[in-house]
Amino acid sequence: MRIATNSYSDSMLNQFNTLAAQQYTLQNQVSTGLSVQAPSDDPTAMQNTLSDIEQQAAQTQYSANISTLQTRATSVDSVLQSLQTVVSQAGEIATSAGSATNSQSDLNNYADQVNTLINQVVNDANTKDPSTGQYLFGGTASGSAPFSTTTDANGNVTAVTYNGNSTVNQTPIGAGLTTTADIPGVNSGSNGARGLITDSQSGADLLNHLIQLRDDLNSGDTTAITNTDSANIQKDQNNVAYQVANNGITQNQLTNASTFASSSNTNLTQMISNSSSANLMNVMVELNQAQTAYQAALESSAKIMQTSLVNYLS
Amino acid sequence: MVGLFNTLDLAKRSLQTQETAIQVTGQNIANVNTTGYSRQTVNITESPDVQTPVGSEGTGTEVAGIDQVVSDLLNSQIQSQNSTSGYWTGQQTALQSAQNGLDEFLNGSGATTGTSSSSASTTDSGLSGQLSALFNAFSALAASPSLSTEQAAVAAGQSVTSSFNQISSQLGSLKSTLNSSLTQNVASANKLLSQIAGLNQQISSTEAGGGTANSLLDQREQDLENLSQLVNISTSTDSSGNLDVSISGQMLVAGRTQLDSLQTYDPGNGNLLVQTATGGADLTLTGGQMQGTIDARDGTLATMQSNLDTLASNLASSVNSIYSAGYNSSGATGGNFFNGTDASDLSVSQSLANDPSTFQLSASATATGDNSVAVNLSNLASTTQSGLNSQTFGNYYGSIVANLGNGLSNANTEVTNQSAVGEMLSQQRSSVSGVSLDEELTNMMTFQQAYEASAQVVTTVNTLMGDTLAMKTS
Repeated sequence: MRIATNSYSDSMLNQFNTLAAQQYTLQNQVSTGLSVQAPSDDPTAMQNTLSDIEQQAAQTQYSANISTLQTRATSVDSVLQSLQTVVSQAGEIATSAGSATNSQSDLNNYADQVNTLINQVVNDANTKDPSTGQYLFGGTASGSAPFSTTTDANGNVTAVTYNGNSTVNQTPIGAGLTTTADIPGVNSGSNGARGLITDSQSGADLLNHLIQLRDDLNSGDTTAITNTDSANIQKDQNNVAYQVANNGITQNQLTNASTFASSSNTNLTQMISNSSSANLMNVMVELNQAQTAYQAALESSAKIMQTSLVNYLS
Repeated sequence: MVGLFNTLDLAKRSLQTQETAIQVTGQNIANVNTTGYSRQTVNITESPDVQTPVGSEGTGTEVAGIDQVVSDLLNSQIQSQNSTSGYWTGQQTALQSAQNGLDEFLNGSGATTGTSSSSASTTDSGLSGQLSALFNAFSALAASPSLSTEQAAVAAGQSVTSSFNQISSQLGSLKSTLNSSLTQNVASANKLLSQIAGLNQQISSTEAGGGTANSLLDQREQDLENLSQLVNISTSTDSSGNLDVSISGQMLVAGRTQLDSLQTYDPGNGNLLVQTATGGADLTLTGGQMQGTIDARDGTLATMQSNLDTLASNLASSVNSIYSAGYNSSGATGGNFFNGTDASDLSVSQSLANDPSTFQLSASATATGDNSVAVNLSNLASTTQSGLNSQTFGNYYGSIVANLGNGLSNANTEVTNQSAVGEMLSQQRSSVSGVSLDEELTNMMTFQQAYEASAQVVTTVNTLMGDTLAMKTS
């Protein structure tokens, strides 16, 4: 084949360009750690990576939501612990007061204790979430305190009004998965989440039952205390026990969801890395090859370009 | 004596011939680096014999012509390859700009050790990250409804809308840039067409006078190659050797005459196309940079713009249909989250942007603490949309990005391939028409030797003639 003089320089220039471009690309992969940076580098990998990154951001948000709910569930739990003490004390009072040996004065003392318990329950039921400042037991009508009371001249609670509603907010904790740590203060309906203080399904009505107990204590109606109030308080004890168990289930669910979110996150990181990260070992080897080829091209061209027949004519 | 004069004459012709040959060699050496130069060879033939009683007697040599060494086949292959290469370069340039405008790149924090490196993240300004941030902001709002999370959701909405607006405006300005580049290409093509007609005229005048127009032919070939880069052309040679140039079946140069030129026209949608200037015939181009630009603009980029508009309008309608049914803390309802219907005019409702506390978060006028609207809005992230080919918003946007990526990746591959084909053809042509210094120097030595030998003949004849004259006087 006939080789024109400029064929050398033209083809060398092309080779230099190709090898320099190769080195540039490989060096860029090493310095960023990514084999895919722009959509045109690998459209499918880019599409998968964008989707994975989106999923990862969603999992991170789910983790944050779970953490918010966990704080809330812990706040609810401490209220439940307090209510458990209250219903247990109320049960003991009802049992002790039912005995025929009690004087009216003893019963009045019990009534005073019950008043304290009533105030504690009202206080507990109006607890706010420390992180968001929302009432924990007002349902979704969380604008004002869920429970307001009517008191007599002595400051004793005679009636309780519930200002909330029986629905609770759900929070996303996974794709299409929501849960709640909230408990409505009252649920007088036949379905939905069971009410914390009043619940028509279980027959619980803690505040009214305590008020009734106190009134029966004050009036010395031990028959009603034994026959009715004890049984009522038992329903409240059962309801609180149910709520405690339910809160435990919710906390477990949140722990599981949190584990899932964090392992999803790890998997997604791996998937993102698989689709878009450079395999450094391979890239380094390729970079070495490209550099060697580049040097060889430079050296050989420097030698060839220097000589022609002119060098040997005199 | 007559014989000696004949020999002297023969030696003179030989000297002239070798001189011309050395001159051609010099011309080749001088143009070793000239782009488009085709090497020339001197066509040396025997001069006609003279009949003598003893037989035919040679009269030496003469130059029959100075020829260009060209391969018409390679030239026409290069023209056609230029059109293909120009087409993909046009696409590549347009799509590269669109990719930059989309601003959807992966960031890496650098390699560490081992076989894989740290994880990628998207650029902050990319729409993908903004969309996912919006749905996550709705999710955060659902988890703890408060003014700060409402503000965050509204801000995330504004980031999404400004990304949409920005991409749309980038695509709009890219379209006008491509239109003006098309107009410039048309102007360059017209200049080349007129140059080709001019060169045709000069070539035919030169050749009519019996000369050869080698350098003019080189120039015309260069012009044809530059023109074929811009637009696919077909050429033919007429009966008198003139070159005609047609584009998409319209003859624009017929020999010495330029019949028509090109111009851009607006078919009504602002996307300029090409037609003949005088005849007004709309041209359907099939190659060259002009068509690459047109195809990228009306194909990949137009699809991308329309898909982005579809995404924006579906996002607005899906979010609004949930949001407008919600109630804010004052019990008001019916407001929209997004205004606008496409990527260019999408915005967050001004009243909501001014006062994020009016966020219509609740599904009920009375339950002000309800978060159902935020939950439903956050669920949109994983809900497939019938208006988006049953894809989620994120996936649909991902496919927009991948479509553009595919278009550009394809263009990049084609440009690389075409450049390899172009190099190969150009090497082949160089092998035929390029100047080789080694060859020229060898030729020069050959001609030099012949010249010296012919000079020796003159010297010898001179000596013989002197001897003859001395014979008479002695």
